[in-house]
Amino acid sequence: MSDRSELIAVGKPFSFDAERDAEFERLITRYPIRESMIMPALWLVQEQDGWICAEAISYIAERIGTYPAKVFELATFYTMYHLKPVGRHHICVCRTLSCYLRDKQEIVDYLAEEIGIRPGQVSEDGKFSLEEVECLGHCGTAPVVQLDGEFHEAMDAKKLKALLATLD
Amino acid sequence: MAEMVKLFVNGQEVAVEQGKNLIDALKVVGIEIPHFCYHPALGADGNCRMCLVGIEDGRPPLVPACKTPAMEGMKVLLDAEHIKKIQHDVLELELINHPIDCPVCDQAGECTLQDYYMTYSLDDSRRGVEPVKKGKRMDLGCGVVHDQERCVLCARCVRFTRQITRTGELGIVNRSDEARVAIFPGKPLDNRYALNIVDICPVGAMTSSDFRFRQRVWFLKKDEGICHGCSKGCNIYIDHHREKYKDDMIYRFRARTNLQVNGYFICDEGRLSYHRENENRQSQTRVDGGVVGFEEGIKAFRSRLDTARKPLMLLSADCTLEQMWAVKRIANLYGAGLSGYSDASVLPGDGDDYLIQDDKAANRKGLELLGIDSSKESFMAALQDADLLVNFNNDLFFSNINDELRPLLDSKECIAVCSHARKLFEKAAIIIPTASYSEYGGTIVNGDGVLQLFRKAVTKNDDPHDILEITRLLGGAIVDAARAWPGIRQSVAVLSAVQPEQIPAEGLKLQSSEEPHVGS
Repeated sequence: MSDRSELIAVGKPFSFDAERDAEFERLITRYPIRESMIMPALWLVQEQDGWICAEAISYIAERIGTYPAKVFELATFYTMYHLKPVGRHHICVCRTLSCYLRDKQEIVDYLAEEIGIRPGQVSEDGKFSLEEVECLGHCGTAPVVQLDGEFHEAMDAKKLKALLATLD
Repeated sequence: MAEMVKLFVNGQEVAVEQGKNLIDALKVVGIEIPHFCYHPALGADGNCRMCLVGIEDGRPPLVPACKTPAMEGMKVLLDAEHIKKIQHDVLELELINHPIDCPVCDQAGECTLQDYYMTYSLDDSRRGVEPVKKGKRMDLGCGVVHDQERCVLCARCVRFTRQITRTGELGIVNRSDEARVAIFPGKPLDNRYALNIVDICPVGAMTSSDFRFRQRVWFLKKDEGICHGCSKGCNIYIDHHREKYKDDMIYRFRARTNLQVNGYFICDEGRLSYHRENENRQSQTRVDGGVVGFEEGIKAFRSRLDTARKPLMLLSADCTLEQMWAVKRIANLYGAGLSGYSDASVLPGDGDDYLIQDDKAANRKGLELLGIDSSKESFMAALQDADLLVNFNNDLFFSNINDELRPLLDSKECIAVCSHARKLFEKAAIIIPTASYSEYGGTIVNGDGVLQLFRKAVTKNDDPHDILEITRLLGGAIVDAARAWPGIRQSVAVLSAVQPEQIPAEGLKLQSSEEPHVGS
């Protein structure tokens, strides 16, 4: 775990684009308590910008009608929300027990060597970012890598190299 | 009265109130269940796990006492080995990353973590790695200083801002050992009750910038008092101390629970109003500009009153019922007019729907009950006529509504009986210093008609005289507070059955004078 409470302010107000705006209005009707919408709204922000800035947290709080501190709590609690910019392709490597034992470190080391990024970093060209995450629920086919939300099981450095080569 | 039930604690039978949670129910009979997160004003949260107890009726071996209502026949286990172990283990967890900086921590001496460690743990630390580093001396706003490392994450402060002030400035961010209380960047605490957070924080994580490092709490004498900051009459503790070779000074006010008046909290303005008790006090007796002894001042006071053609006495709406009664009596004695005009202490729109009232006077209801005219018209008319104004600590310029009165006031001879040095009193021919509310006792009636008794808390080295004592020196018959009551009872129907010493701790709600009074 690390401290995620240092939010980044981009210096201009956030708002949803037309598509997310409509999605927000559609989703919020599902919840009897408006605050239940905080997490889906954070996802919408992340979908739109790739990460969540301080302004977006204020925006969501105002839109839902709750305290910014409450949205802040949730955004920092769940590590799946990115609170700083990520690369165009975001790589999550599972570091929990099964993946650890099945040598997730080989994958992490490969990325450090090949692309020059360590967990928490973004490559200089902005193409890749790497994050170590807790259990992704694919222990039977460890180690698992999640690339832009898609799971890739039983990975090793070689397979990852081939996979990354397909990306632009 | 709630129904009582019998239950067993460690096999011993006790009678407690039914339905109350075990922490509160057993506290009444002197049994402590350790807890961090539960607070009666904020409800049971169940996050700290310190109050886990055993109930021998087939439920799981450990249940949180804060969420368990007392029931007839319940068998509560507090001293079983597995309960002691859980208390011990929870404390070890709380202390793993705790800085243990008690020697420089303001909370030391009134710290739950410290007390529980002494009672339930006393173990050495088993931590062999560096503790987690977090924020220190963080300014959360409103004078609240936060130390994230001392925090036990009970979330009382967070719940306070969400449930009580509904301003929600605080949250617990991150997770696991990185979790911490924080404000949203750029949105510090911004409410008029924020310093209550310092009171409810069970540890030294929340301290008050006003009190930090001023005094160790074990030196403080904690007397009960009533805040005179407005007409709510919130119950407070007056924490004061006389340092060696120095005077008795107040170091802080804290909220004192009174469910009929203020609940568990007080406003920040009231809390910090103790400064006014310490500062800018009138200590010298002055006659025509020269400093004289107190007796000489009283002598001059008497002779001016005797020779005055038409004196007018002006009371403060902060005075106690007894003081008002005593002044009323000497006004009669000297054939003086009497007014309680004090509209300046009303700040329209300043109050809220919680504790803070527009009216900053503590006992305006008292003026009304004693039938003392407080209208501006009659005060102005009486002042025009008068040749001597005797002002009993009434600050007519508390707000700026009386500026047009200045020329008239300046043209009259004035005697000021005042606790504080104020502009208004500077020009007075005679200045007699008097006690302020922490230095005398008496009864006051708050804006909601609750009669409350408070006692003298602070005794100054050069202890100023109470207004009541000054009236006695002027020849009045009221020699002490008790002596005022036969007269008060006789002339005020709604107070006719009141025995001041028997006023309950939560105050006595007076019947409205329009309704027929039923004796208590």
